[in-house]
Amino acid sequence: MEERNSCFFNPAILDSLAEDSLQEIIASYNGFCNSTQSLLSGNGDLSVGPDFVSHVHTLCKHSLHSLVQDHFLLVLEETFERIGASRFWRHFDPYSHVANLNKNDDLDIDEDEIQSVLYNALEEVTLEKQYQEKCLFVLVHGLQSYKDQMSEDKHGFEGEKSYLTSKYQWIVSSVLMATVPRHFPVILHWYFKRKLEELSTIMDEEFCDDASQDKDGMDLDEGGKICSKGGEMDVDECYNDHRFSENSRLVKNVGKVVLDLRNLGFTSMAEDAYASAIFLLLKAKVNDVAGDDFRSSVLQSIKSWIQAVPLQFLHALLVYLGDVVSYESTSSGLKSPLAPQPSSCCPGINTPSEGLVRWKLRLEYFAYETLQDLRIAKLFEIIVDYPESSPAIEDLKLCLEYTGQHSKLVESFISALRYRLLTAGASTNDILHQYVSTIKALRTIDPAGVFLEAVGEPIRDYLRGRRDTIKCIVTMLTDGTGGNSSSSGNPGDSLLEELNRDEEIQENAGVDDDFNSDDRQAWINAMRWQPDPVEADPLKGSRNQRKVDILGMIVGIIGSKDQLVHEYRTMLAEKLLNKSDYDIDSEIRTLELLKIHFGESSLQKCEIMLNDLIGSKRTNSNIKATINQPPQTSVKVEDSAISMDVISATIISSNFWPPIQDEPLSLPEPVDQLLSDYAKRFSEIKTPRKLQWKKSLGTIKLELQFQDREMQFTVAPVHASIIMKFQDQPSWTANDLANAIGIPADALNRRINFWISKGIITESQGEDSSDHVYTIVENMADTSNNGASTATQELLGGDEEEERSVASVENQLRKEMTVYEKFILGMLTNFGSMALDRIHNTLKMFCIADPPYDKSLQQLQSFLSGLVSEEKLELRDGMYFLKK
Amino acid sequence: MATNTIHGNNESAQPNNIASSKQPLPPAKTVDSQSVLRRLQSELMALMMSGDSGISAFPEEDNIFFWKGTITGSKDTVFEGTEYKLSLSFPNDYPFKPPKVKFETNCFHPNVDVHGNICLDILQDKWSSAYDVRTILISIQSLLGEPNISSPLNPQAAQLWDNQEEYRKMVEKLYKSAN
Repeated sequence: MEERNSCFFNPAILDSLAEDSLQEIIASYNGFCNSTQSLLSGNGDLSVGPDFVSHVHTLCKHSLHSLVQDHFLLVLEETFERIGASRFWRHFDPYSHVANLNKNDDLDIDEDEIQSVLYNALEEVTLEKQYQEKCLFVLVHGLQSYKDQMSEDKHGFEGEKSYLTSKYQWIVSSVLMATVPRHFPVILHWYFKRKLEELSTIMDEEFCDDASQDKDGMDLDEGGKICSKGGEMDVDECYNDHRFSENSRLVKNVGKVVLDLRNLGFTSMAEDAYASAIFLLLKAKVNDVAGDDFRSSVLQSIKSWIQAVPLQFLHALLVYLGDVVSYESTSSGLKSPLAPQPSSCCPGINTPSEGLVRWKLRLEYFAYETLQDLRIAKLFEIIVDYPESSPAIEDLKLCLEYTGQHSKLVESFISALRYRLLTAGASTNDILHQYVSTIKALRTIDPAGVFLEAVGEPIRDYLRGRRDTIKCIVTMLTDGTGGNSSSSGNPGDSLLEELNRDEEIQENAGVDDDFNSDDRQAWINAMRWQPDPVEADPLKGSRNQRKVDILGMIVGIIGSKDQLVHEYRTMLAEKLLNKSDYDIDSEIRTLELLKIHFGESSLQKCEIMLNDLIGSKRTNSNIKATINQPPQTSVKVEDSAISMDVISATIISSNFWPPIQDEPLSLPEPVDQLLSDYAKRFSEIKTPRKLQWKKSLGTIKLELQFQDREMQFTVAPVHASIIMKFQDQPSWTANDLANAIGIPADALNRRINFWISKGIITESQGEDSSDHVYTIVENMADTSNNGASTATQELLGGDEEEERSVASVENQLRKEMTVYEKFILGMLTNFGSMALDRIHNTLKMFCIADPPYDKSLQQLQSFLSGLVSEEKLELRDGMYFLKK
Repeated sequence: MATNTIHGNNESAQPNNIASSKQPLPPAKTVDSQSVLRRLQSELMALMMSGDSGISAFPEEDNIFFWKGTITGSKDTVFEGTEYKLSLSFPNDYPFKPPKVKFETNCFHPNVDVHGNICLDILQDKWSSAYDVRTILISIQSLLGEPNISSPLNPQAAQLWDNQEEYRKMVEKLYKSAN
């Protein structure tokens, strides 16, 4: 068989072989085989060496050295597979179950045990390999000595040697790789992770070397042999020394493992293992540092941690490996870990190698990405406490600049918004507050406003669907505190602030009236120019138009500033009418600010309203002055007559005010007299003009005197009228009282509840079952329910919530919309089906009668969908039909 | 017919300020078309707010001089349950001249010819500026139930009118084929 082999390889020589040389070849080949076998299987016994060498010589003499090499390598491979590899893997057999575990799971294996198993296994396999290498050298030696004999040519030897060595190396790694069990990478990963954690705790202590040295000493007791000897006297030096040696010991251990693995051909597997361990550690660290605290910037500390821990480790490792690899390629893998390692523990990395720089970039990118993901996931919370969380926003901004994953932010934030904010349960105020915070926060991250556009869209859409959006916005704009019950967030301040800020900007712009300021500004703008992010939607205009302007974006929710102004006017009217003094300084200020933003003309009516108030104040004092000078006799005819001093009128130019709700009410005689007196005076002073009282509006301060007590109230006129009727007559039936006051009976029942709740009037069943009798409670002691009277001073009763002096915008709108409804039904009757646009245009075209059609497309759409839900219309494929 | 000329005039009449500066139109005419516009506006508003059932009309998208109308047959007449489309085009000197009103839907009626022309006195010699769109539509609606058999535009329909049952069938048949 071997014959055939040799024939195959050396067909030319075969012919020339004589019988005896054939015999010789066969004999020496058998000898070679036997000695190879015994050489390789002999445990460290190289005694067969000379015999082996002589066989090699003989075979080489017949030019069969390639046969020799091939056979030797074959046997070598078999042996390694049989002894080295299988024994190596057997070490790890007890841990085979870990392959099924998740990488992040904690292994319930003794740390030291697995570590020592790994060490032992590596040691053993390395020894085996070392021995086989020795055997290989015997062969090499034999071949060499033969060559020496035959010729003087020595150049081929080195080549032969390196060829065989690399061949062997290749055999080893391929054998091992072919047989590697699934759990081995897991074990490696686990090992590196454990080692790194160990290292990081040490480094961490060093990293944050505050005053916690005592504690450190305790923590380090696992390896604290040196420290314990040093005692606590010379803490510093001992501490550092100890730390150093601990570090270097660790790194060397790890380095040795990596090196051994490399020698076995596991270079990439080892690298994977420690890289993933480092990343895992980094991730844990970022999670740990970043946590849920948004009030501090963590990026810097993470970066310095990267510098301090993983990079130190990698530096040490790379240095260790680099050094060793460079002058050790041919010698045995078992390099003493105690061999001098130049600067393996140098704390400052002076000249970072290329590999290290690459690692640094990788780690930082990973850290940025991890932090970014963490922050994006929590962006909603971050924005909720925005002004406090701005460090976290800054961090996120830096991360995003590095990673460029803005779209991730947009997606995740929008889904968070949908899930958490844009639900029926969230109050409009909160949504608006969050919207403003979002604008402010994202303005930091993305000054161009591209992502803000995307994120804001769902919020805006949602808010458009809410009825009270405009009201909330106006409340926020004008005052934060006067808003709805939930004034906790006090979002109004922020918007008023915005108004102020705008003003300042405009002032600053005005100051700089240098004649060449335009050029300079243009230059500055040009210098600052940055391209839009790629995600920018080209349809949405260039960045100039997209300038982030909070007020603009808020107004954008509503659609048109006219609506906002309208709502503001209504609210302003309400507020002004409820004022008893004429103090309107804050309103004037707000109006001035609004004028800057929305233009004078649109707020003209509001200005007239304020002027009315100012005028009222003046007129009021004028009228009073005329009365005081010539003492009027007519006023003090009765002793119950009231001096005109107590009255102050708000005189409005009703054309410019929103529609005012007026209900009939007959005031008590003296008051009515007073009012008409006042009106007479007014027409005397302002001749052509006359006063028309809105008697149901206003507030009245009154004091009630009873037999045993006095009480003060501030109430609406109707309440005052009711209670004054009881002055003449202690009990009234409901119908009589209603007639006397001039209001419907059901309205009276509603209003009188105010006094009943105060314990001043009691209600009882009258003779007629449909008629109630109200009686005044003159003496508190008579009744049992004196608990109710404790609250003496209270502004308008709680049931008065719905009573407003000005028709609400919704009511006005509803009234207008009914006109439009008729038009819409009319046009659909005649045209069959129409699209939204066409309805909108047609209304614009033809509905120019009394309330001209001035609604936005969105408003029309929501109105139409209202009609659809009332089953008056039908919507199919974007066309509206009459429902038949 | 006259419809075309009315159309042409409309376009120049609507933006009357520009038109007057461009062309030396007699000033009386400009004031007129302005008031015609206003008159039609208010008629539309009145019609929309009146809420009369079974009659409706609305201007075309861009031209207030040209309206589309809808009339449904009154109850207890042979036209009950049918709906007819009309077109109304107003002359420039409306309301001094009547609008041209035509049936757009085929209407089997003694006073309506196959082209949809209507024979109704108030739309011709008995027109008065006191009438408006609403009264026109109401008149046409009542004409459906009470035709003037003596001067028919559609003799076949006039003949059949006496037989209300047959007439009803005819109306239904034609109405179905029209829709």
